Amino acid sequence: MSKDNSQKSVQTTGHSWDGDLQEFNNPLPRWWLWAFYATIVFAVVYWFLYPTLPIGRDYTKGIGNEITYTTADGKTVTTHWNTRALFLKEKEEARKQQAQYLEKLAKVPYEAIAKDPELSAFALSRAKVLFADNCAACHQAGGDGVLGEYPNLLDDAWLWGGTYADIEQTIANGRTGMMPAWKGKLSEQEIEDVVEYVLSLSGEQVDAEKAARGKSVFMNNCAACHGQDGKGQKFLGAANLTDQIWTIAKVPLANSLDGKRNAVREVVENGKTRTMPAWKGRLSDTEIKILTFYVHELGGGQ
Amino acid sequence: MAHTTAQPAQYNYAIVRNFTIMALVWGVLGMTAGLYIASELAWPFLNFDIPQITFGRLRPVHTTLVIFGFGGSALFATSYYVVQRTCQTRLWGDSLASFTFWGWQAAVALAAISYMAGYTQAREYAEMTWPIDILIAVVWVAYLLIYVMTLRNRSQPHIYVANWFYIAFILATAILHIFNNLAMPVSLFSLSSYSLQSGVQDAMTQWWYGHNAVGFFLTAAFLGMMYYFVPKQVGRPVYSYRLSIIHFWALIFLYMWVGAHHLHWTALPDWTSTLAATFSILLLMPSWGGMINGIMTLSGAWDKLRTDPIIRFLVVALSFYGMSTFEGPLMSLKSVNALSHYTDWTVGHVHSGALGWVAMISFGSLYHLVPRLWDTRMWSTSLIYLHFWLATIGIVLYISAMWVAGIGQGLLLRAFDDYGNLAYTFIETVQFLHQPYVVRALGGLFFVSGIVIMGFNVYMTIRQGRREQAALQAKLA
Repeated sequence: MSKDNSQKSVQTTGHSWDGDLQEFNNPLPRWWLWAFYATIVFAVVYWFLYPTLPIGRDYTKGIGNEITYTTADGKTVTTHWNTRALFLKEKEEARKQQAQYLEKLAKVPYEAIAKDPELSAFALSRAKVLFADNCAACHQAGGDGVLGEYPNLLDDAWLWGGTYADIEQTIANGRTGMMPAWKGKLSEQEIEDVVEYVLSLSGEQVDAEKAARGKSVFMNNCAACHGQDGKGQKFLGAANLTDQIWTIAKVPLANSLDGKRNAVREVVENGKTRTMPAWKGRLSDTEIKILTFYVHELGGGQ
Repeated sequence: MAHTTAQPAQYNYAIVRNFTIMALVWGVLGMTAGLYIASELAWPFLNFDIPQITFGRLRPVHTTLVIFGFGGSALFATSYYVVQRTCQTRLWGDSLASFTFWGWQAAVALAAISYMAGYTQAREYAEMTWPIDILIAVVWVAYLLIYVMTLRNRSQPHIYVANWFYIAFILATAILHIFNNLAMPVSLFSLSSYSLQSGVQDAMTQWWYGHNAVGFFLTAAFLGMMYYFVPKQVGRPVYSYRLSIIHFWALIFLYMWVGAHHLHWTALPDWTSTLAATFSILLLMPSWGGMINGIMTLSGAWDKLRTDPIIRFLVVALSFYGMSTFEGPLMSLKSVNALSHYTDWTVGHVHSGALGWVAMISFGSLYHLVPRLWDTRMWSTSLIYLHFWLATIGIVLYISAMWVAGIGQGLLLRAFDDYGNLAYTFIETVQFLHQPYVVRALGGLFFVSGIVIMGFNVYMTIRQGRREQAALQAKLA
């Protein structure tokens, strides 16, 4: 066992276990002891400053730590330091910081927001959070949606219209879009032909003979909603079939003409019902207005 | 070094050997599970849509196997060894000791299987359903009885300090386990149960348990390990008897109060938060008392650090212990907690304690123990060095990655833009985590490789011990 000069004078306690286990009788390290005392002082001071000791059903509140805040409905409250009051105080400050913008936003028309750089910057900053909390679950964080399920908000296609008024209506009251299933109602041949015609509307090089037959099927069955020219009707949420933008049929994912045919056939045969929920009541009018402005900005608003 | 082990009749080494082997088995399995779930967080496709191996189910498997399987078995092994050696008496109750072995292994295995099947009590670190809780309670009371009876049978006038820590750990864990798991089963044939407490009281009870599982299971008990294996391996007396008394009592008194610091900024009353935060600050120096006593025991023998890889494990363990017991009180302050809570900083903190302190002190102790239990020397010293470096690099990667992830996400979540709106969406803060998660998984890979190498080294050592024993028998015959 090596000897240590610094501990020459220190004795062990005189006990030993298991052969060579012993303990020196060194005093407590000075710095350790003083640091321990310092933590005690810290704790005792802290106990006087903040809510600490339970007494019966009450507790000590701490000294000189009042917090005053105003609630959303205008009540002013003064209380001792507590975490909830801190939170409400922070909320009050946030409300104050944003009040001027929110009041202005509520009053002016959309066009005025777009013209006012500061106001539109505020609206877009606020909308980012609102969109992430309420819309991104379906339309995705960037707003590009999920093909077949949730519309892409970045492209130029607007199923229900792309003006401020249309978008606000969509968000506030929701929409239900319904493409019926044609399997059983149209014959196999008719479905094959109409698929060919629909693809031809987007400029695909298809079988001309089938497409010609498909045109009459389309006029008799589909044109009521999608229009004679296939350009859709926004009051029904019927898609424009001529713009090469696909919102339900997974045509963009297909890499052959047959793949595209199958993608369109899938929708024609089985139909699709999609629902956009109504946000009125869940979001305030100003919040809906902000989101409308944001969505309009996202993709070629009209 | 003196090598006075061969007294098989005097001591019950069989039980120590069994627990030692199982500590390594659970260690390899539990840390591998940890590596897998860390990889799932970095690359979610690894869930493979198989419910049994998703993060939610494998996470309690990981924590249970490493805390109770690896840590628990290492504590059973070392405490049974230390109490016999320092009391100079055989472990009381051979068959009861054997029951604690089988009972404990069964509890750990059943817990892991039941979590993967989807059965959980949904209390962190106490996810076991009620029948397993009862098994654990019975095993634990048997453990307490064995330990107390062995201490009573001692042929030494004084009880060595390591035993104070072990007995405090056993007693406190019994109390924590029983009170946190008070619940009414839905029916005799259902694994589901209702907790006795509700609401914020229930949360308080859970974190009183949760933090003292850290305090008594993962700290006090491993300090007991430290107090035997550090002076033994170094061959010098413990630095200060007085410090050991003061920090022991301060530690076990203060730990019981601090659990509520896991519930800052919740429905918990503010006065409870304050008490938990200040007692956490008070706990800093008592915790450091153990580190000082361990590290100062080396004074005069620092040169051994160059030649003895086992001492390296012990010293690095003490250093990480000091680091994480400084970080803990810091994080328990309400203002720091507002940033750190619900982020990976907490995960990093736990692992600097769990990998840096608990696992490293266990590795060192087991490397000391294994050759003595099988009456031979370690098969390979260079593999111990390799294990040491793999483990140390692994920990450093792990905790630095978690500091970046945790503090980074905490800052992103509270960042506001010029208009007072949140600057980042939640998903943006999650995307930010990907790179630190990859580094964390890499750190885990290092650490797991280390314990796999240790398992191999120990396996070869046991074979070597048996061969030498057989050769000796042949010579005698």
